[in-house]
Amino acid sequence: MMNCNVAGFGWVAVDGLGAGKSGTFHGFTAGELAPVTRQDLFDRPDRRFGRMDSFSKLGLAAITFALRDAGLEEWQEKRSVGILADTFSGCLQTDCDYFNSVIPDEGVFASPQLFAYTLSNTFLGEAALRFGLTGNCQVVNCCADDGLSVIHQAIESIQWGEDERVVVGFCELSSNGALNAPGALFMVLEAADVARSSLMALTINQQGAMSCHGKSVDTVTMLVEVLAGT
Amino acid sequence: MNRSVHITDYALVTGLGCDVKTVWSRLVAGDSAIRPVEHFKTTNCLAKSAALVNDLPCQAGESRLYPILEQLLEQLDCVPQSARLITATTKGAIDLLENDCQHHGQVSAAAAVVPSSMTSWLARQLDVDDNGININAACASSTLAIARGAGLIAHGVAEVVVVCCADIVSEFVLSGFSALQALSDQPSRPFDVDRNGLTLGEGAAAVVLMSEDAAQRYHRVKHAEVCGWGAANDANHITAPARDGCGLIQTVRQTLNRAQVKADEVAAISAHGTGTVYNDMMELTAFKAIFGERPLPISSIKGALGHTLGAAGGIEVVLGIASLNDQLVPPTCGCVNPEPLGVGQISATAQPFSGDLLLSTNSGFGGVNAALLLRRGQQ
Repeated sequence: MMNCNVAGFGWVAVDGLGAGKSGTFHGFTAGELAPVTRQDLFDRPDRRFGRMDSFSKLGLAAITFALRDAGLEEWQEKRSVGILADTFSGCLQTDCDYFNSVIPDEGVFASPQLFAYTLSNTFLGEAALRFGLTGNCQVVNCCADDGLSVIHQAIESIQWGEDERVVVGFCELSSNGALNAPGALFMVLEAADVARSSLMALTINQQGAMSCHGKSVDTVTMLVEVLAGT
Repeated sequence: MNRSVHITDYALVTGLGCDVKTVWSRLVAGDSAIRPVEHFKTTNCLAKSAALVNDLPCQAGESRLYPILEQLLEQLDCVPQSARLITATTKGAIDLLENDCQHHGQVSAAAAVVPSSMTSWLARQLDVDDNGININAACASSTLAIARGAGLIAHGVAEVVVVCCADIVSEFVLSGFSALQALSDQPSRPFDVDRNGLTLGEGAAAVVLMSEDAAQRYHRVKHAEVCGWGAANDANHITAPARDGCGLIQTVRQTLNRAQVKADEVAAISAHGTGTVYNDMMELTAFKAIFGERPLPISSIKGALGHTLGAAGGIEVVLGIASLNDQLVPPTCGCVNPEPLGVGQISATAQPFSGDLLLSTNSGFGGVNAALLLRRGQQ
């Protein structure tokens, strides 16, 4: 049996964005995402935000809201918090935008700015430096239908003592990923013994079955339903 | 309870050859795989050479990725069907996107371009039940994939994990590193005082990880033990390392702690050693902080095999097994005048060492750092 607490979550969906406890989260639906703006996230001007690609803005927004919901946005010293993100298409749109800057004139005007965002894990680096997170940061492209591999990995990371906290979730500009819709969802998971405030418990039993807030979770869709029900 | 994790099979494909024995012997002899790139135009790139896999049977419109992976799988023994699959690539079959953008102006083959397409292909070829995952953490991808596999076995979640990693030299990636001014116009010179950038490479590696019980059950040789691993982020910059090496220091300390070994017990280091000014200095700074003034042999294979990005860590682990077997760190090709912090530790010729533990490290964009500690196994 493995247990951890969900300390908070953040989300960006077609019908809005926010931190979990605000109570306006209804899940993910098809449609077009509104561009995430700096004003959606931060009160103060932010030089880095404007440089980022759409995928990174989306992911950073949901991570920011999750940390805010968990009371972990503000920091003084770097913290051993990991970030795990599942995505299917990742930064594919940025890849296209970048390569379209290469094609004319055989690369003379290839954009270094865009190229820096053609790694799907770049937004994790953005979040890490912005919030002082020094844990294991990686993108996981899950191939299983349930889409829950990344959550298993996060819980195991906490259970095995690799990180006290892990920010884990999903980020997708298209409808191809585990959310079945464009959007991003990140949760802050933490070990029960370091929990400052617990929104709900996330558990994996000895058979490997996951439950959240006492409800069985077999797919990412079911996890979203539990979170939306809070 | 932590169980031991053994590497029971391994394979690699690089510009120096398509089997471990050939690659190792050529590497030790000081050969380089770096040659002019001819499969796309490099007119406006800072570098016009890379370490390329020779004679790929690749048709127009097809990716270079899969012929490389086919050559990789030919070297592997049968993998148990119950094995977990973890892959690592940064850009997968990115050359398919190049074709799409150039000929159609849009991506029609999105599903074939995303990294998980490589994972699904490998799951079919290996005939394993697991659908697999791909880990994408820039140049530390495969190191973290092996670390994840080791964790699954150590904690009893899996008995067998196969890790496959690959990345290719493409116009997309070469032009990008060129635009970032990260490429050297000459073959890269890791840890040399006059280094001025990296040289790209392509390749693939596979390692099969097994628990002690599984290795006995399947009658496999335990070539090496993965006895420690770690990962940490610099939280400093998205494309540059922290100059004080804070993330790598944290990573190596985690790795040693997990293995319950002291820094003094490490016999040699397979460094990331890209040949960029900042990466190499950061690594030497971190190693000095951890290992002090001990003249520990350090090597980078990237002056010979190029920087293979997401495949780098996997390739370095496979060559690390050969290194432990022969008690020899390979030459750091191109390092004529080592950085003062590395004098007496880095050489353009192979260096003998004595010991059972080799540390392998990688760092990358996004501030990632990862390390593995290998213990010599049965030859």
